[in-house]
Amino acid sequence: MGLHLDFSVVLERWPLFLDGAAMTLKLAFIAILTGGAIGTFCAIGRGSSNRFIAGLCAAYVETIRNTPLLVQIFLVYFGLASIGFKFSAFSVAAAALAINVGAYTAEIMRAGFEAIPPSQIEAAEGLALSRVQIYWHVILLPAIEKVYPSLTSQFVLLMLASSVTSQISAEELTAVANYVQSDTYRAFETYILVALAYIALSLVLRAAFWALGQVLFPRRRRLGTPL
Amino acid sequence: MKRSLTLALLAATALACAGQAARADLLDDIMKAGKIRIATDLAIPPSGMIDGAMKPTGSDVETAELLAKDWGLQLEFVQTTGATRIPNVQTNKADIIISTLSVTPERAKVIDFSKPYAALQSVVGCLKSVEAKSWDDLKGKTIAVSRGTTQDTTLTNMKERDLKLARYEDDATMVTAAVSGQADCVASSATIVSQIGVKAPARPFEPKVSITNFDLAIGVKKGEPKLIEKLDAWVEQNLKNGKLNAIYKKFHGTDLPANMRG
Repeated sequence: MGLHLDFSVVLERWPLFLDGAAMTLKLAFIAILTGGAIGTFCAIGRGSSNRFIAGLCAAYVETIRNTPLLVQIFLVYFGLASIGFKFSAFSVAAAALAINVGAYTAEIMRAGFEAIPPSQIEAAEGLALSRVQIYWHVILLPAIEKVYPSLTSQFVLLMLASSVTSQISAEELTAVANYVQSDTYRAFETYILVALAYIALSLVLRAAFWALGQVLFPRRRRLGTPL
Repeated sequence: MKRSLTLALLAATALACAGQAARADLLDDIMKAGKIRIATDLAIPPSGMIDGAMKPTGSDVETAELLAKDWGLQLEFVQTTGATRIPNVQTNKADIIISTLSVTPERAKVIDFSKPYAALQSVVGCLKSVEAKSWDDLKGKTIAVSRGTTQDTTLTNMKERDLKLARYEDDATMVTAAVSGQADCVASSATIVSQIGVKAPARPFEPKVSITNFDLAIGVKKGEPKLIEKLDAWVEQNLKNGKLNAIYKKFHGTDLPANMRG
Protein backbone atom coordinates (compact mmCIF):
# COMPACT_ATOMS: atom_id res chain seq x y z
CA MET A 1 0.00 0.00 0.00
CA GLY A 2 1.52 3.23 -1.08
CA LEU A 3 0.03 6.62 -1.56
CA HIS A 4 0.27 7.68 -5.16
CA LEU A 5 -0.08 11.37 -5.70
CA ASP A 6 -0.52 12.61 -9.20
CA PHE A 7 -0.88 16.36 -9.39
CA SER A 8 -0.68 16.64 -13.18
CA VAL A 9 -4.42 16.36 -13.99
CA VAL A 10 -5.22 18.74 -11.15
CA LEU A 11 -2.52 21.23 -12.04
CA GLU A 12 -3.55 21.45 -15.67
CA ARG A 13 -6.82 22.99 -14.47
CA TRP A 14 -4.92 25.93 -12.97
CA PRO A 15 -6.98 28.65 -14.70
CA LEU A 16 -10.04 27.40 -12.79
CA PHE A 17 -8.15 27.64 -9.50
CA LEU A 18 -6.98 31.13 -10.38
CA ASP A 19 -10.56 32.24 -11.06
CA GLY A 20 -11.64 30.69 -7.78
CA ALA A 21 -8.90 32.42 -5.79
CA ALA A 22 -9.77 35.76 -7.40
CA MET A 23 -13.43 35.23 -6.49
CA THR A 24 -12.47 34.38 -2.88
CA LEU A 25 -10.39 37.55 -2.58
CA LYS A 26 -13.17 39.65 -4.12
CA LEU A 27 -15.72 38.21 -1.70
CA ALA A 28 -13.39 38.85 1.25
CA PHE A 29 -12.59 42.40 0.11
CA ILE A 30 -16.24 43.45 -0.24
CA ALA A 31 -17.26 41.74 3.00
CA ILE A 32 -14.38 43.30 4.97
CA LEU A 33 -15.13 46.84 3.72
CA THR A 34 -18.89 46.73 4.29
CA GLY A 35 -18.70 44.47 7.35
CA GLY A 36 -16.05 46.71 8.90
CA ALA A 37 -18.28 49.75 8.43
CA ILE A 38 -21.37 47.94 9.76
CA GLY A 39 -19.38 46.75 12.78
CA THR A 40 -17.97 50.17 13.60
CA PHE A 41 -21.36 51.88 13.42
CA CYS A 42 -22.87 49.09 15.46
CA ALA A 43 -20.22 49.43 18.17
CA ILE A 44 -20.99 53.16 18.35
CA GLY A 45 -24.72 52.38 18.36
CA ARG A 46 -24.42 49.93 21.25
CA GLY A 47 -22.88 52.67 23.37
CA SER A 48 -25.61 55.15 22.36
CA SER A 49 -27.87 56.74 24.96
CA ASN A 50 -30.83 56.07 22.63
CA ARG A 51 -32.09 52.77 24.04
CA PHE A 52 -33.83 51.75 20.80
CA ILE A 53 -30.64 52.04 18.73
CA ALA A 54 -28.57 50.35 21.43
CA GLY A 55 -31.07 47.50 21.67
CA LEU A 56 -31.23 47.07 17.90
CA CYS A 57 -27.44 46.83 17.62
CA ALA A 58 -27.24 44.40 20.54
CA ALA A 59 -29.94 42.18 19.01
CA TYR A 60 -28.12 42.12 15.66
CA VAL A 61 -24.77 41.25 17.22
CA GLU A 62 -26.17 38.53 19.45
CA THR A 63 -28.27 36.93 16.68
CA ILE A 64 -25.38 36.73 14.27
CA ARG A 65 -22.82 35.61 16.80
CA ASN A 66 -25.06 32.79 18.00
CA THR A 67 -26.06 31.24 14.67
CA PRO A 68 -23.91 29.29 12.20
CA LEU A 69 -22.67 31.13 9.11
CA LEU A 70 -24.04 28.44 6.80
CA VAL A 71 -27.54 28.88 8.21
CA GLN A 72 -27.27 32.66 7.76
CA ILE A 73 -26.21 32.17 4.14
CA PHE A 74 -29.11 29.80 3.42
CA LEU A 75 -31.53 32.21 5.11
CA VAL A 76 -30.41 35.14 2.98
CA TYR A 77 -30.10 33.16 -0.25
CA PHE A 78 -33.23 30.99 -0.17
CA GLY A 79 -35.21 33.24 2.15
CA LEU A 80 -34.93 36.36 0.02
CA ALA A 81 -35.74 34.38 -3.14
CA SER A 82 -38.86 32.90 -1.52
CA ILE A 83 -40.29 36.37 -0.96
CA GLY A 84 -39.42 37.44 -4.48
CA PHE A 85 -36.01 39.12 -4.20
CA LYS A 86 -33.62 37.32 -6.49
CA PHE A 87 -29.93 38.20 -6.34
CA SER A 88 -26.95 36.39 -7.78
CA ALA A 89 -25.14 33.88 -5.63
CA PHE A 90 -22.12 36.18 -5.54
CA SER A 91 -23.96 39.22 -4.18
CA VAL A 92 -25.80 37.12 -1.61
CA ALA A 93 -22.53 35.49 -0.54
CA ALA A 94 -20.85 38.88 -0.17
CA ALA A 95 -23.82 40.33 1.73
CA ALA A 96 -24.12 37.35 4.08
CA LEU A 97 -20.39 37.42 4.83
CA ALA A 98 -20.53 41.18 5.47
CA ILE A 99 -23.48 40.79 7.86
CA ASN A 100 -21.61 38.01 9.62
CA VAL A 101 -18.27 39.75 10.02
CA GLY A 102 -20.06 42.99 10.94
CA ALA A 103 -21.28 41.45 14.20
CA TYR A 104 -17.84 40.20 15.19
CA THR A 105 -16.23 43.50 14.21
CA ALA A 106 -18.78 45.32 16.39
CA GLU A 107 -17.64 43.40 19.47
CA ILE A 108 -13.97 43.97 18.70
CA MET A 109 -14.54 47.68 18.06
CA ARG A 110 -16.55 48.00 21.27
CA ALA A 111 -13.54 46.70 23.17
CA GLY A 112 -11.44 49.34 21.38
CA PHE A 113 -13.80 52.18 22.29
CA GLU A 114 -13.99 51.09 25.91
CA ALA A 115 -10.22 51.08 26.12
CA ILE A 116 -10.06 54.84 25.43
CA PRO A 117 -9.54 56.55 28.81
CA PRO A 118 -12.31 59.15 29.47
CA SER A 119 -9.59 61.57 30.59
CA GLN A 120 -8.19 61.53 27.06
CA ILE A 121 -11.54 62.72 25.67
CA GLU A 122 -11.82 65.33 28.43
CA ALA A 123 -8.35 66.56 27.56
CA ALA A 124 -9.37 66.90 23.90
CA GLU A 125 -12.47 68.85 24.94
CA GLY A 126 -10.26 71.02 27.10
CA LEU A 127 -8.16 71.78 24.04
CA ALA A 128 -11.34 72.95 22.26
CA LEU A 129 -11.26 70.30 19.51
CA SER A 130 -14.51 70.01 17.58
CA ARG A 131 -16.74 66.94 18.08
CA VAL A 132 -15.76 65.55 14.70
CA GLN A 133 -12.09 66.05 15.43
CA ILE A 134 -12.45 64.35 18.80
CA TYR A 135 -14.29 61.40 17.33
CA TRP A 136 -11.82 60.88 14.52
CA HIS A 137 -8.45 61.61 16.14
CA VAL A 138 -9.03 60.88 19.81
CA ILE A 139 -11.55 58.04 19.77
CA LEU A 140 -11.86 56.17 16.46
CA LEU A 141 -8.28 55.93 15.19
CA PRO A 142 -6.74 55.10 18.60
CA ALA A 143 -9.51 52.54 19.18
CA ILE A 144 -8.81 50.83 15.84
CA GLU A 145 -5.11 50.95 16.60
CA LYS A 146 -5.60 49.15 19.91
CA VAL A 147 -7.63 46.29 18.40
CA TYR A 148 -5.89 46.17 15.03
CA PRO A 149 -4.37 42.67 15.51
CA SER A 150 -7.76 41.22 16.53
CA LEU A 151 -9.41 42.85 13.53
CA THR A 152 -6.77 41.44 11.21
CA SER A 153 -7.24 37.90 12.44
CA GLN A 154 -11.04 38.24 12.29
CA PHE A 155 -10.79 39.35 8.66
CA VAL A 156 -8.47 36.47 7.77
CA LEU A 157 -10.97 34.10 9.41
CA LEU A 158 -13.68 35.65 7.26
CA MET A 159 -11.69 35.03 4.10
CA LEU A 160 -11.34 31.35 5.10
CA ALA A 161 -15.04 31.15 6.06
CA SER A 162 -16.00 32.31 2.57
CA SER A 163 -15.36 28.67 1.57
CA VAL A 164 -18.87 27.70 2.73
CA THR A 165 -20.45 29.96 0.11
CA SER A 166 -19.72 27.17 -2.39
CA GLN A 167 -22.94 25.70 -0.98
CA ILE A 168 -25.02 28.35 -2.71
CA SER A 169 -23.13 28.00 -5.99
CA ALA A 170 -20.71 30.92 -5.57
CA GLU A 171 -17.77 29.79 -7.68
CA GLU A 172 -15.00 30.57 -5.19
CA LEU A 173 -11.89 28.53 -4.46
CA THR A 174 -13.57 25.69 -2.55
CA ALA A 175 -16.32 25.36 -5.16
CA VAL A 176 -13.62 25.03 -7.81
CA ALA A 177 -11.89 22.38 -5.69
CA ASN A 178 -15.11 20.40 -5.29
CA TYR A 179 -15.69 20.58 -9.00
CA VAL A 180 -12.15 19.59 -9.96
CA GLN A 181 -12.07 16.64 -7.58
CA SER A 182 -15.39 15.33 -8.86
CA ASP A 183 -14.04 15.68 -12.38
CA THR A 184 -10.61 14.12 -11.86
CA TYR A 185 -11.26 11.82 -8.85
CA ARG A 186 -8.01 13.23 -7.43
CA ALA A 187 -9.52 14.47 -4.17
CA PHE A 188 -6.41 14.35 -2.00
CA GLU A 189 -4.24 16.21 -4.51
CA THR A 190 -6.94 18.81 -5.13
CA TYR A 191 -7.43 19.64 -1.47
CA ILE A 192 -3.69 19.72 -0.77
CA LEU A 193 -3.38 22.27 -3.54
CA VAL A 194 -6.33 24.30 -2.30
CA ALA A 195 -5.03 24.25 1.28
CA LEU A 196 -1.74 25.69 0.01
CA ALA A 197 -3.67 28.31 -1.96
CA TYR A 198 -5.58 29.36 1.18
CA ILE A 199 -2.32 29.65 3.13
CA ALA A 200 -0.96 31.88 0.39
CA LEU A 201 -4.12 34.00 0.39
CA SER A 202 -3.93 34.37 4.19
CA LEU A 203 -0.33 35.50 4.00
CA VAL A 204 -1.21 38.03 1.30
CA LEU A 205 -4.09 39.35 3.41
CA ARG A 206 -1.92 39.60 6.54
CA ALA A 207 0.80 41.41 4.63
CA ALA A 208 -1.76 43.84 3.21
CA PHE A 209 -3.13 44.62 6.68
CA TRP A 210 0.39 45.06 8.07
CA ALA A 211 1.18 47.56 5.30
CA LEU A 212 -2.12 49.37 5.85
CA GLY A 213 -1.34 49.57 9.58
CA GLN A 214 2.02 51.15 8.86
CA VAL A 215 0.29 53.88 6.83
CA LEU A 216 -2.62 54.45 9.22
CA PHE A 217 -0.75 54.48 12.48
CA PRO A 218 2.47 56.52 12.26
CA ARG A 219 3.12 56.08 15.97
CA ARG A 220 3.24 52.33 15.56
CA ARG A 221 5.59 52.79 12.64
CA ARG A 222 8.00 54.85 14.74
CA LEU A 223 7.78 53.01 18.03
CA GLY A 224 7.03 49.52 16.71
CA THR A 225 4.29 49.13 19.32
CA PRO A 226 0.72 50.36 19.76
CA LEU A 227 -0.14 53.03 22.27
CA MET B 1 -16.59 -8.89 -45.70
CA LYS B 2 -20.27 -8.86 -44.92
CA ARG B 3 -20.62 -12.49 -45.87
CA SER B 4 -17.76 -13.61 -43.70
CA LEU B 5 -19.30 -11.69 -40.79
CA THR B 6 -22.63 -13.47 -41.34
CA LEU B 7 -20.82 -16.79 -41.49
CA ALA B 8 -18.98 -16.04 -38.27
CA LEU B 9 -22.23 -15.08 -36.60
CA LEU B 10 -23.88 -18.28 -37.81
CA ALA B 11 -21.00 -20.33 -36.53
CA ALA B 12 -21.16 -18.57 -33.18
CA THR B 13 -24.90 -19.18 -32.93
CA ALA B 14 -24.44 -22.83 -33.81
CA LEU B 15 -21.79 -23.15 -31.14
CA ALA B 16 -23.97 -21.43 -28.58
CA CYS B 17 -26.88 -23.73 -29.43
CA ALA B 18 -24.66 -26.77 -29.22
CA GLY B 19 -23.53 -25.72 -25.76
CA GLN B 20 -27.12 -25.19 -24.82
CA ALA B 21 -28.40 -28.54 -25.90
CA ALA B 22 -26.48 -30.09 -23.07
CA ARG B 23 -28.86 -28.60 -20.47
CA ALA B 24 -32.47 -27.55 -20.21
CA ASP B 25 -33.65 -24.22 -21.47
CA LEU B 26 -34.13 -21.52 -18.78
CA LEU B 27 -37.59 -20.60 -20.09
CA ASP B 28 -38.69 -24.23 -19.85
CA ASP B 29 -37.32 -24.41 -16.31
CA ILE B 30 -39.26 -21.31 -15.29
CA MET B 31 -42.50 -22.56 -16.81
CA LYS B 32 -42.07 -25.97 -15.24
CA ALA B 33 -41.44 -24.48 -11.81
CA GLY B 34 -44.40 -22.13 -12.21
CA LYS B 35 -42.28 -19.48 -10.55
CA ILE B 36 -40.03 -16.70 -11.77
CA ARG B 37 -37.20 -15.26 -9.67
CA ILE B 38 -36.60 -11.60 -10.44
CA ALA B 39 -33.62 -9.64 -9.14
CA THR B 40 -34.69 -6.16 -8.07
CA ASP B 41 -32.96 -3.55 -5.95
CA LEU B 42 -35.51 -2.43 -3.37
CA ALA B 43 -33.48 0.52 -2.09
CA ILE B 44 -33.65 2.89 -5.05
CA PRO B 45 -36.91 4.83 -4.97
CA PRO B 46 -38.98 5.31 -6.97
CA SER B 47 -37.96 2.24 -9.00
CA GLY B 48 -37.71 -0.18 -6.13
CA MET B 49 -38.57 0.48 -2.49
CA ILE B 50 -40.41 -0.85 0.55
CA ASP B 51 -43.71 0.86 1.38
CA GLY B 52 -45.21 1.66 4.78
CA ALA B 53 -46.66 -1.84 5.06
CA MET B 54 -43.18 -3.33 4.45
CA LYS B 55 -44.21 -4.52 0.99
CA PRO B 56 -42.06 -3.99 -2.09
CA THR B 57 -43.30 -1.29 -4.42
CA GLY B 58 -41.97 0.92 -7.20
CA SER B 59 -41.94 1.01 -10.99
CA ASP B 60 -39.59 -1.98 -11.36
CA VAL B 61 -41.59 -3.92 -8.78
CA GLU B 62 -44.88 -3.32 -10.61
CA THR B 63 -43.23 -4.18 -13.93
CA ALA B 64 -42.11 -7.50 -12.44
CA GLU B 65 -45.58 -8.13 -11.00
CA LEU B 66 -47.18 -7.42 -14.38
CA LEU B 67 -44.83 -9.84 -16.09
CA ALA B 68 -45.49 -12.63 -13.60
CA LYS B 69 -49.25 -12.08 -13.87
CA ASP B 70 -49.22 -12.09 -17.69
CA TRP B 71 -47.22 -15.29 -17.78
CA GLY B 72 -49.28 -16.91 -15.04
CA LEU B 73 -46.30 -17.39 -12.77
CA GLN B 74 -45.66 -17.02 -9.10
CA LEU B 75 -43.23 -14.15 -8.41
CA GLU B 76 -40.24 -14.30 -6.15
CA PHE B 77 -38.14 -11.16 -5.61
CA VAL B 78 -34.43 -11.70 -5.21
CA GLN B 79 -33.23 -8.64 -3.31
CA THR B 80 -30.12 -7.24 -4.87
CA THR B 81 -27.91 -4.19 -4.97
CA GLY B 82 -26.67 -2.29 -7.98
CA ALA B 83 -23.40 -4.17 -8.04
CA THR B 84 -24.81 -7.66 -7.51
CA ARG B 85 -27.57 -7.51 -10.16
CA ILE B 86 -25.58 -9.19 -12.91
CA PRO B 87 -23.83 -11.85 -10.76
CA ASN B 88 -27.28 -12.88 -9.51
CA VAL B 89 -28.36 -14.11 -12.94
CA GLN B 90 -24.92 -15.39 -13.89
CA THR B 91 -24.85 -17.69 -10.86
CA ASN B 92 -28.50 -18.71 -11.33
CA LYS B 93 -29.72 -17.12 -8.10
CA ALA B 94 -32.29 -15.23 -10.15
CA ASP B 95 -33.83 -15.81 -13.57
CA ILE B 96 -33.99 -12.24 -14.83
CA ILE B 97 -33.06 -8.70 -13.71
CA ILE B 98 -35.60 -5.88 -13.60
CA SER B 99 -33.70 -3.20 -11.69
CA THR B 100 -32.98 0.08 -13.53
CA LEU B 101 -30.44 -1.82 -15.58
CA SER B 102 -29.22 0.50 -18.30
CA VAL B 103 -28.00 -0.98 -21.55
CA THR B 104 -24.25 -0.49 -22.00
CA PRO B 105 -21.77 -2.18 -24.37
CA GLU B 106 -19.71 -3.41 -21.40
CA ARG B 107 -22.71 -5.16 -19.88
CA ALA B 108 -23.76 -6.59 -23.23
CA LYS B 109 -20.54 -8.62 -23.17
CA VAL B 110 -21.62 -10.56 -20.08
CA ILE B 111 -25.42 -10.68 -20.25
CA ASP B 112 -28.19 -10.37 -22.84
CA PHE B 113 -30.77 -7.60 -22.82
CA SER B 114 -34.43 -7.61 -23.76
CA LYS B 115 -35.97 -4.70 -25.62
CA PRO B 116 -35.92 -1.58 -23.39
CA TYR B 117 -39.02 -1.35 -21.20
CA ALA B 118 -38.26 2.06 -19.65
CA ALA B 119 -35.67 4.84 -19.74
CA LEU B 120 -33.58 6.90 -17.38
CA GLN B 121 -34.23 10.36 -18.70
CA SER B 122 -31.77 13.11 -18.04
CA VAL B 123 -33.38 16.46 -18.81
CA VAL B 124 -33.31 20.19 -18.34
CA GLY B 125 -36.57 20.97 -16.57
CA CYS B 126 -37.96 24.46 -16.04
CA LEU B 127 -40.92 26.13 -14.42
CA LYS B 128 -44.03 25.27 -16.41
CA SER B 129 -44.47 28.95 -17.27
CA VAL B 130 -41.00 29.21 -18.83
CA GLU B 131 -41.05 29.09 -22.63
CA ALA B 132 -38.24 26.71 -23.54
CA LYS B 133 -38.35 24.14 -26.28
CA SER B 134 -34.74 23.92 -27.44
CA TRP B 135 -31.22 24.61 -26.26
CA ASP B 136 -31.41 28.07 -27.87
CA ASP B 137 -34.27 29.03 -25.56
CA LEU B 138 -32.09 28.13 -22.56
CA LYS B 139 -29.35 30.55 -23.53
CA GLY B 140 -28.67 33.02 -20.73
CA LYS B 141 -30.97 31.23 -18.27
CA THR B 142 -29.43 30.00 -15.04
CA ILE B 143 -29.59 26.21 -14.80
CA ALA B 144 -29.08 24.59 -11.41
CA VAL B 145 -27.16 21.30 -11.29
CA SER B 146 -25.64 19.06 -8.65
CA ARG B 147 -21.89 19.41 -8.80
CA GLY B 148 -20.04 16.52 -10.46
CA THR B 149 -23.11 14.66 -11.76
CA THR B 150 -23.32 13.46 -15.37
CA GLN B 151 -25.64 16.40 -16.08
CA ASP B 152 -23.00 18.81 -14.76
CA THR B 153 -20.23 17.32 -16.90
CA THR B 154 -22.40 17.07 -20.00
CA LEU B 155 -23.67 20.66 -19.80
CA THR B 156 -20.26 22.05 -18.83
CA ASN B 157 -18.85 20.57 -22.02
CA MET B 158 -21.54 22.27 -24.15
CA LYS B 159 -19.44 25.42 -24.36
CA GLU B 160 -20.96 26.58 -27.65
CA ARG B 161 -24.47 26.63 -26.17
CA ASP B 162 -23.60 29.45 -23.78
CA LEU B 163 -25.40 28.01 -20.75
CA LYS B 164 -25.13 29.55 -17.28
CA LEU B 165 -24.71 26.82 -14.68
CA ALA B 166 -25.17 27.24 -10.93
CA ARG B 167 -23.57 24.26 -9.22
CA TYR B 168 -24.97 23.12 -5.88
CA GLU B 169 -23.40 20.65 -3.52
CA ASP B 170 -26.13 17.98 -3.78
CA ASP B 171 -29.61 17.24 -5.10
CA ALA B 172 -31.25 18.54 -1.92
CA THR B 173 -29.69 22.02 -2.21
CA MET B 174 -30.39 22.09 -5.95
CA VAL B 175 -34.06 21.31 -5.33
CA THR B 176 -34.19 24.00 -2.62
CA ALA B 177 -32.83 26.49 -5.16
CA ALA B 178 -35.64 25.52 -7.54
CA VAL B 179 -38.34 25.62 -4.86
CA SER B 180 -37.24 28.95 -3.37
CA GLY B 181 -37.03 30.65 -6.75
CA GLN B 182 -33.26 30.99 -7.04
CA ALA B 183 -33.37 28.86 -10.17
CA ASP B 184 -36.11 28.51 -12.78
CA CYS B 185 -34.35 25.64 -14.55
CA VAL B 186 -32.59 22.52 -13.28
CA ALA B 187 -30.68 19.77 -15.03
CA SER B 188 -31.38 16.41 -13.43
CA SER B 189 -33.33 13.20 -13.91
CA ALA B 190 -36.89 13.57 -15.19
CA THR B 191 -38.02 11.92 -11.96
CA ILE B 192 -36.54 14.63 -9.74
CA VAL B 193 -37.82 17.38 -12.06
CA SER B 194 -41.42 16.18 -11.71
CA GLN B 195 -40.97 15.58 -7.97
CA ILE B 196 -40.36 19.33 -7.43
CA GLY B 197 -43.94 20.18 -8.36
CA VAL B 198 -45.28 17.41 -6.12
CA LYS B 199 -43.41 18.74 -3.08
CA ALA B 200 -43.90 22.43 -3.91
CA PRO B 201 -47.19 22.85 -5.81
CA ALA B 202 -46.60 26.61 -6.09
CA ARG B 203 -43.66 26.05 -8.41
CA PRO B 204 -44.38 23.13 -10.75
CA PHE B 205 -41.46 22.08 -12.97
CA GLU B 206 -41.63 19.99 -16.12
CA PRO B 207 -39.02 18.46 -18.45
CA LYS B 208 -38.25 20.88 -21.29
CA VAL B 209 -35.14 19.76 -23.15
CA SER B 210 -33.81 16.22 -23.19
CA ILE B 211 -30.10 15.72 -22.43
CA THR B 212 -29.70 11.96 -22.73
CA ASN B 213 -31.86 8.87 -22.37
CA PHE B 214 -30.44 5.64 -21.02
CA ASP B 215 -32.45 2.61 -22.09
CA LEU B 216 -33.44 0.34 -19.24
CA ALA B 217 -33.89 -3.29 -20.18
CA ILE B 218 -34.49 -6.67 -18.62
CA GLY B 219 -31.24 -8.58 -18.13
CA VAL B 220 -30.88 -12.30 -18.80
CA LYS B 221 -27.80 -14.47 -18.67
CA LYS B 222 -26.12 -15.21 -21.99
CA GLY B 223 -27.47 -17.85 -24.31
CA GLU B 224 -31.22 -17.93 -23.57
CA PRO B 225 -32.70 -16.91 -26.94
CA LYS B 226 -36.15 -18.35 -26.25
CA LEU B 227 -36.51 -16.40 -23.03
CA ILE B 228 -35.26 -13.19 -24.67
CA GLU B 229 -37.72 -13.67 -27.53
CA LYS B 230 -40.65 -14.08 -25.15
CA LEU B 231 -39.51 -11.08 -23.07
CA ASP B 232 -39.18 -8.93 -26.19
CA ALA B 233 -42.70 -9.82 -27.26
CA TRP B 234 -44.03 -9.05 -23.79
CA VAL B 235 -42.24 -5.67 -23.61
CA GLU B 236 -43.43 -4.72 -27.07
CA GLN B 237 -47.02 -5.61 -26.30
CA ASN B 238 -47.10 -3.75 -23.00
CA LEU B 239 -45.43 -0.67 -24.42
CA LYS B 240 -48.08 -0.63 -27.13
CA ASN B 241 -51.05 -1.09 -24.81
CA GLY B 242 -49.65 1.63 -22.52
CA LYS B 243 -49.36 -0.50 -19.37
CA LEU B 244 -45.60 0.03 -19.00
CA ASN B 245 -46.01 3.74 -19.59
CA ALA B 246 -48.72 3.88 -16.93
CA ILE B 247 -46.46 2.18 -14.39
CA TYR B 248 -43.60 4.55 -15.25
CA LYS B 249 -45.80 7.61 -15.01
CA LYS B 250 -47.25 6.51 -11.69
CA PHE B 251 -43.86 6.47 -10.02
CA HIS B 252 -41.72 8.89 -12.05
CA GLY B 253 -44.33 11.53 -12.84
CA THR B 254 -43.52 11.74 -16.55
CA ASP B 255 -44.26 9.72 -19.66
CA LEU B 256 -41.68 7.48 -21.27
CA PRO B 257 -39.85 9.10 -24.21
CA ALA B 258 -42.18 9.39 -27.20
CA ASN B 259 -40.14 7.07 -29.43
CA MET B 260 -40.50 4.27 -26.86
CA ARG B 261 -44.25 4.55 -26.53
CA GLY B 262 -44.44 3.70 -30.24
